[in-house]
Amino acid sequence: MNALRKRLAREDGWTFIEATLAVVIMSVMVLGLTIVMLAFREHLDRSWAVRSMDQYGNDVLENLTHDLRNAVDIEVAGGDNSPYHRVQVKFLNPYSHDRFDYNNWRVDTRSNRVIVNNRELQPYFPPRNLRRGESYVIEQFTLTPYGKETLFAKPEGWERADALRRDPKFTNAAYEIRFKIRYNRNAMYTDDVNWSYTREYFNRVYLRNKNLIVKKGITD
Amino acid sequence: MDRNSIARMRDDRGSIDFVQLVVGLMIVAIACVGTFQALGFGYDHLNEQMRYRKALSIARSYLEYWQGRIHTDFHPSDMQTRAGNFGRGPRIKLDEGDPATTTDDIYCTVEYGGLQPVDQNTTGIGTDYWNINVQVIWQERGHNRGEFEEKRITLFGSMVAAEL
Repeated sequence: MNALRKRLAREDGWTFIEATLAVVIMSVMVLGLTIVMLAFREHLDRSWAVRSMDQYGNDVLENLTHDLRNAVDIEVAGGDNSPYHRVQVKFLNPYSHDRFDYNNWRVDTRSNRVIVNNRELQPYFPPRNLRRGESYVIEQFTLTPYGKETLFAKPEGWERADALRRDPKFTNAAYEIRFKIRYNRNAMYTDDVNWSYTREYFNRVYLRNKNLIVKKGITD
Repeated sequence: MDRNSIARMRDDRGSIDFVQLVVGLMIVAIACVGTFQALGFGYDHLNEQMRYRKALSIARSYLEYWQGRIHTDFHPSDMQTRAGNFGRGPRIKLDEGDPATTTDDIYCTVEYGGLQPVDQNTTGIGTDYWNINVQVIWQERGHNRGEFEEKRITLFGSMVAAEL
């Protein structure tokens, strides 16, 4: 009995309270770290998705801008109330001055890709390795004259007013590209929530060749 | 308090004492605060970069507008247009903060400087081309509450008139 009392009175090792406290502190730390890591991973995933969108959005904008800068004329089909326009860009053949070449731009809403002359503009969008619940949707691809308001194109008030005062030669040659992509991540588990992010890419292009005297000289 | 009990309190075999616990907690707390501040700073910086890109896009579009104007819809005798609109350019919404309020929205001002004619004596009719200077100005939140920092993007371009 004496030996047992002596053994229980010893203070080396952990007491029950110390052990409990240590477990509680460790649990809080591990839980906190897990939450931080999950939030960080979520942040990385979203940032990767936004980067993919940015890369594609800027590619589409730059390629179409390049085409429009070379264009002598364009034809836009689809109507003011449609979020998807079909654009035919007409430009001079670089080798023969009495011939024209055409690039036809449209959006394939099933595969969510921009198609130029029946070929996808970039093969890497939407990314092939999407996870469950992830998707990209092209919400808008429109080309509208400067200052023109439609259901999907909302220019600033001063631009609308300014467009009324401008020479038609200018307004018929200044176009605004609006390209909008949405990234969705649908909930896969009961605790998840649906998340989506939409981004609009905008650029204004002035069709220099449409009003150029050189065009007349070459085509007449 | 006898000698044995003081010796027992000083005994350090295999356990943590209160001071160690508090110091440990403080270290963990400081590390957590540092980590969250770094994440917050990175997040703010991403937003700032996004606004910068949008401002750049606005500046490019405004430069394109003036190139088009000079090309087809500009009279060199129009001194008001030639003078530019520095200090009184239109405002455009650059970014929206909380959708429930408009007080934290960020606006930018889009301006162009005086249009400068350049004559290199190549055409014999005077001006060869015009220089354009466009700038976009907006305010970014500073590091301290209530502090703002002015950001500015300036683009230079030039254009010939279509009559040339």
